[in-house]
Amino acid sequence: MIDADGVAVATGGSTLLPPVSVVVGPGEALVVRGGNGAGKTTLLRVLAGSRRPTSGVVRIDGDAVDPRDRGFRRRVASMIGLPPMAPDLTVADHVLLVAATWVDESTAGSLAGSVLAELGLSALGRRFPHELSSGQTQLFGLALVLARPFDVLIVDEPEQRLDPEHLEVVGRALRARRDGGATLVVATHSRPLAEAIGDRFLQLDPAA
Amino acid sequence: MSPRPRPAVAIWRARSTTTTGDRLYLGYLLVAVAGVVVAPLARALWQGLTGAEGIAALTTSTAPASAGLIVAAVWAAALLLGRERGPALLPPFLLHALATSDLPYRVVFRGPLLRCGALVVAICTGAAGLTGASLAHRGFASAEQAVVFTIVGALVGVVATAAWLAGQTHPRVALPVAIGVVALASGGLSSPALQASTPWGWVGLAYPLGTAPPPPGALAGLVALALVAVAVVPALLSRLRPAETAVQAARWQAATSSALGTEFGAAATVYRKAPHVGRRVRAVRPGHGLGVAFFVRDAIGAARTPGRLVVGLIALGVGGLLLGYAVVSPGPGWLLGAAAGLIVFAATGPLTDGIRHAAAVAADVPLYGIGDGRLLVSHSMLPLAVVVLVLVSAAVVVSLSAANGAPILSAMALGVTTLLLRVGQALKGPLPPVLLTPISSPMGDPMAAVRVLWALDGLLFAAVIGAAATVGLDAPLALLAAAGLVAGVVAQRWRHRA
Repeated sequence: MIDADGVAVATGGSTLLPPVSVVVGPGEALVVRGGNGAGKTTLLRVLAGSRRPTSGVVRIDGDAVDPRDRGFRRRVASMIGLPPMAPDLTVADHVLLVAATWVDESTAGSLAGSVLAELGLSALGRRFPHELSSGQTQLFGLALVLARPFDVLIVDEPEQRLDPEHLEVVGRALRARRDGGATLVVATHSRPLAEAIGDRFLQLDPAA
Repeated sequence: MSPRPRPAVAIWRARSTTTTGDRLYLGYLLVAVAGVVVAPLARALWQGLTGAEGIAALTTSTAPASAGLIVAAVWAAALLLGRERGPALLPPFLLHALATSDLPYRVVFRGPLLRCGALVVAICTGAAGLTGASLAHRGFASAEQAVVFTIVGALVGVVATAAWLAGQTHPRVALPVAIGVVALASGGLSSPALQASTPWGWVGLAYPLGTAPPPPGALAGLVALALVAVAVVPALLSRLRPAETAVQAARWQAATSSALGTEFGAAATVYRKAPHVGRRVRAVRPGHGLGVAFFVRDAIGAARTPGRLVVGLIALGVGGLLLGYAVVSPGPGWLLGAAAGLIVFAATGPLTDGIRHAAAVAADVPLYGIGDGRLLVSHSMLPLAVVVLVLVSAAVVVSLSAANGAPILSAMALGVTTLLLRVGQALKGPLPPVLLTPISSPMGDPMAAVRVLWALDGLLFAAVIGAAATVGLDAPLALLAAAGLVAGVVAQRWRHRA
């Protein structure tokens, strides 16, 4: 599903991502690990199409990465940092609106409801984003990304701001997507999360 | 200042790395700005007030009542301003250090309150003095009357400062009181009895027009009111709540930091109201098509900050009326049109949260199942409908009274172009690094002015659009050029969105 061949990113004489080659198939979860500055987020940005590699090629399902291409948008969901959140929508409103743009409007409600329940956010459905704690905001961001169909899911450090209990919730949700046939690429510093979802690991080391 | 806070204030001030050279440069800047900007503006203001049109406006039969209404509006505005940014405020760290000590608040906040009060009193005194001097200069009032009115201005400033503080200490009461003051003042315009028994009515009675001296009762009433205002300040200060004051201080520091960095949009965001009502109303109702869903979602989203929405709609109507009068006025109305453009631009803020969200999404990884362009268009439908409806309605009112249909076309052009400008502002992004590059020239570094222009481009474009809409039918090329310029900026920012 994902085929990255010699992908590297450099800017202003600095190497942000040393050359990486990796292939991840359907139903596989690749956990990207490495210290701060190793290039984990840069690699994820390249895979999601928000950063162009200075060398190398990425293909997803055989096609070039292009976030403005309709097919690419449908295949690839990603959360690299928190997604933009509308301040005037409640949690339930926002997840439903995102779902309604991806699936038939009659089934959007059930999709949104199931994602909220899966992440333990059902009770917070009537809150506005500014009324959420930092951990709840992280879960809300993940709910926005999961409330849609996809073949590839790219997530950067989903463990941020989460307590162990909610980290387990997120681990279950990601594992369920992998078991459902999606390709996962997750960058994380969390060993429990990595062990919960990963069946392959990619260790990145900071460029010299 | 009481001796006890002095050590803390001294430590705070010691953080400053300002050198003598910096102070000298600041002084040079102040003198230069005073000479290049303030003096010509003051001269133009004086010439405007003492000119034929200015004097005609100051000497109409409704001028005294209007002065009273303006004063009531100033006091109401002071109450409302106190809810967001009161006069008793210190930088967050200093506030924490002093407000959590055993020092009484009247000691802690005396300095900032006196500084804010002095500023307000100076502004009110200056405005009243300028009005009185203009009338005396053209022989419509005696020098004594002008001096008395100047003193009245100072008293108004004292009361306004107390109202500002009262808004800070009693934010919940401030809103209904402010509405009541404005309603009472507006309703009492036609009632002489009410004029004589209300503080704003006393201001109207002291207005320096004609030969009759101001009634002693009115002056005594204003003096008594100002004394009461000063007397209640310690009691008001003792009602300050540390938590709310700390929030105000943090917001003010964030806003000023952004503004000093020419990030005026970010500064305004600090004071943008977050929604708290309407959470039980479903904003998203799929089943009737995405176009309808986004329209309804934007409408309910805007209604979740009702005060902000109402103020925006009222301002939109006022902007539309101003534009209409600018179009039908016999003289050159471009200045009024520019003011209308600015008001309409500001008024569209509460209606364009969806556009800003769409721009943020367009600059990020895909979130919605529709393209960035369609998302932006979907979020533009509600503001477009509301802006055109309100502006055209206001234009129709003016058109009917002036038997001239031109304001309607101007209103539509202004509405559509202003929304296009809003899209451009939403897509603007951070300051381009190239603008930080210094360039030496015989006149100094022009990039500082370029950065200010970049920061204020929204307001400048809004004024240009408003002025162009005013002359739209007489000089359609001007309107087309202004709209084309804005469209070009939007297209350029759209192409370079992250």
